[in-house]
Amino acid sequence: MIDVWTLVRFVHVVGAALWVGGQLTLTAVVLPPVRALLGLEQRATLLRSVGRRFAVVTMAVLLPSQIATGWLLAWRHGVTWQSLAEPGYGRVLVAKLTLFALVMAATSVHGIAQGKGRPRLARTASVAALTGSLGVVLLATGLVGG
Amino acid sequence: MSTSIDLGLAPPGRPRRLKGPLTAWGNLLVLAWLAVAVTLLVTHDALGLPAWLALHAFLLGAVTNAIIVWSEHFVAALCRAPSPPERRMALGLAVLNASVLLVLLGVLLDVHWLAGTGATGVSVLATVHAWHLLRTRRRALAGSYAYLTAYYAAASASLAVGGVFGGALTAGGLGGYGRMWGAHVHLTLLGWLGLSVLGTLFTLWPTALRVHMPDGSVRTARRCLPVLLAGLALAATGFAVAVTQLAVAGLVLYAAATAVCLAPFATALLRTRPARSAPWLLAAATGWLLVALGAESVWLAAGTPVSTVVDRLLPMVVVGFGAQILVGALTQLLPAVLGRGPAEHKRVAAVLDRLWLPRLVAANAAVPLVVLGLPGPWPLLGWALAAGAFGGFAVLALSVAAPVAVHGALPAPRQGGGSLAGVALGAAATLVAAGFAVSGGTGGPAPDGPVRTVDVELAAMRVSPAVITVAEGTHLMLRVTNADAMPHDLRLAGGAHTSRLSQGETELLDAGVIDGELTGWCTIAGHRAAGMTMTIRTGESPPSTQDDAVHGVAQPRNAALAPAPRGTVHRVRLRVTEREIEIAPGRHERRWTFGGTVPGPVLRGRVGDRFEITLVNDGTVGHSIDFHAGALAPNEPMRTIEPGQRLVYRFTATRAGAWLYHCSTMPMSQHIANGMYGAVIIDPPRLPPVDREYLLVGGELYGGAPGSDAQVSRIVQGRPDGWHFNGAAGQYDHAPLPARTGERVRFWVVNAGPGGTLSFHVVGGQFDTVYKEGAWLLRPGAAGGAQTLDLAAAQGGFAELTFPEPGRYPFVDHDMRHAEGGAHGIVAVTR
Repeated sequence: MIDVWTLVRFVHVVGAALWVGGQLTLTAVVLPPVRALLGLEQRATLLRSVGRRFAVVTMAVLLPSQIATGWLLAWRHGVTWQSLAEPGYGRVLVAKLTLFALVMAATSVHGIAQGKGRPRLARTASVAALTGSLGVVLLATGLVGG
Repeated sequence: MSTSIDLGLAPPGRPRRLKGPLTAWGNLLVLAWLAVAVTLLVTHDALGLPAWLALHAFLLGAVTNAIIVWSEHFVAALCRAPSPPERRMALGLAVLNASVLLVLLGVLLDVHWLAGTGATGVSVLATVHAWHLLRTRRRALAGSYAYLTAYYAAASASLAVGGVFGGALTAGGLGGYGRMWGAHVHLTLLGWLGLSVLGTLFTLWPTALRVHMPDGSVRTARRCLPVLLAGLALAATGFAVAVTQLAVAGLVLYAAATAVCLAPFATALLRTRPARSAPWLLAAATGWLLVALGAESVWLAAGTPVSTVVDRLLPMVVVGFGAQILVGALTQLLPAVLGRGPAEHKRVAAVLDRLWLPRLVAANAAVPLVVLGLPGPWPLLGWALAAGAFGGFAVLALSVAAPVAVHGALPAPRQGGGSLAGVALGAAATLVAAGFAVSGGTGGPAPDGPVRTVDVELAAMRVSPAVITVAEGTHLMLRVTNADAMPHDLRLAGGAHTSRLSQGETELLDAGVIDGELTGWCTIAGHRAAGMTMTIRTGESPPSTQDDAVHGVAQPRNAALAPAPRGTVHRVRLRVTEREIEIAPGRHERRWTFGGTVPGPVLRGRVGDRFEITLVNDGTVGHSIDFHAGALAPNEPMRTIEPGQRLVYRFTATRAGAWLYHCSTMPMSQHIANGMYGAVIIDPPRLPPVDREYLLVGGELYGGAPGSDAQVSRIVQGRPDGWHFNGAAGQYDHAPLPARTGERVRFWVVNAGPGGTLSFHVVGGQFDTVYKEGAWLLRPGAAGGAQTLDLAAAQGGFAELTFPEPGRYPFVDHDMRHAEGGAHGIVAVTR
């Protein structure tokens, strides 16, 4: 049935899709032609502004919305602090949240490394964040699956 | 901009092309298979996939691709023979990899014709490869390396034959699984892998050590091949016809020739002591091959069954020899293929040598850990080390091989790169998180319903019983024992499965609540096809006749005691669950249970047997377990674990007796009174067989909710609501224990308490044998007899008697207050 919880879940799922899809699109679709077609100067300017914009959208919109809707969904599911340690739903949720935190850390490393002109580290961090995000989605699938 | 950092798409308008040479692509395939194999090694348990898959992803995927690619390369390079057209090589590799995928999928999905088609493909390809090599040999310009084509051709022929055996095995082994398996393993590992490696090493090790090939190497190579082939043929034939002496003779011959081939390498290595990984990896790998050959010969000669020996040594050959030789050879060879010019060679070599010493140490430390059959976490640590060492190499090598294969060149120094490390990091974090997420079981509520435990034996390619029929809604436990020399397991369609059981190991498998037909099978490749399947059916009508509902317990516990399983290692998983138990006819109470029943499951073995119990607390308060049958420091194994936790309790039964086990969390009186106890029967040596054996665990009954004030005060004052045998008062009044006149019946009795005595007596019977607390008090033939077996709390023993004539013989706790309070039952004796 469609009720207010459908809306909360919808916002949570769309947020995740935008965030993971956005990273995937940038890495796999935007970056290669940008590297191939633009000169070093233009490339750096373009990527810097794209990266900054993505970071702003993440921090200002996606992250607060994911945390808020996620909190609501957990509350609706009857999750308590104690139940987080229990096998089953609680542990999957803890694993997902921890992985999400790691992904966020990797994203930060990416931003810092980019700023300090260390492209290799930046790339490693961004790809790790992308792979980890897919892991977050995998664990999330485990939460809704039978 | 520079084209060397062109990492992505070509400019629009130009078709995209794959630029790398075929050898780079071939090696990319090898590394991809290696990465797949390591991933499968790490995840197969969680994904419910057989270990076989990881093994064959490595051997059939990585190793076979590597041998095909490099043997063509060496024959072309050393024999100065014309290279085959790239298109033909590409077609060959495509057919090979498609065949390998068919084999893996066929076994995974249990579709014989798919696996058979794949195996045939591999065999045909091996034949074509051998034929092509022999043809090249005739056309080659340089004769001195002709031995190389002979080694490769012989290896290919071994694979062709071994592949046929493998295909037959996936279809169940045509009635000769054990023999075919032995031949298959040796033809593929010693033939295909071993001969290819030995042939290559004559030139590879001098290159790796940067020394000249010693004089006489070619002659040694030529002379050794017939001996190696004779040894291999003898061994394979010996295994195929099950004549162990023949197999041992073949192995010794093969090992001797291998040692002769490798001796100059060992002396040169010790002289030069290079600071690079390739020579050490090659040396360690061949060392493990020799150790494995020696151990196998000695062990087989000592009369150990082939399947036990091969199963134990297989990890040594696969990890110690196979994986190390592959990594060593690739470390040595890849720089020349992937780099253009000396500078790039050095760059690739530096990448491949990164962290080489820790990887070398990890790989070689892993081998004894996985082979020696150590207890507890050691084998797991070994596999983790192996996965780290070889997975690490796969990541390093892929980071240089992938750009060369895809873009045709290495990226410029300090440009690009880092993606693979990122993928590896992210995937590793995901794996760890997923591993944690699925730990501790599903956490769902414990299934309710009557519990029935059935013994299941795996032996001779059969599961017996092949059909188990239970009432719908029964919570079925299977006590699975492998009575075969060959390893087996049992997996149910619902996903529940035992671990891989070696000979004599027993494991308790929770099949859950049965509400429809359920199939089970052994997941070892080909065993299901050979007939190792079982079916659990619902058939019996639920046994709730009106009479029982009014006067008896709905599900009386089966008091018959099965003989000790044949094995010497007993692995049992005990789940603490809370459930409603009928403690007296019509009276249900919530109880704390070991494994869902009161008393908990009985464990039976012989003196010297090892028990390994995994206790899982699915209850709501802390619990623990104390096995009187083992002597050990209680601190760790008897510790209390909280809900959701688990512990492993290991003990060796050094003394015979009827032992109690119970929850040892304080207050123990409450935990025992609420149902947390059971019996461990350790047969006295040379215990004579009898016609029937029954087990009665007796004690006090306290009604009321666990921990309620009313219950606690009655426990403290020692005022039970009743007494019981096997968890429920008077349950054998309406379900009498059967016996026949003249039969010798042995009653094992354990007093679980928590307090009070138990004085076991059979009305109308006299015991001629009494064994109490480890001592024979009375033996047949003595003039005297015994009327009771008296047991204080937590004591146990047995008494035997024969019934003189048909009739209904009550058995009681002869403290009459106990008997009248429920500690009684009937033995119905017929002629």
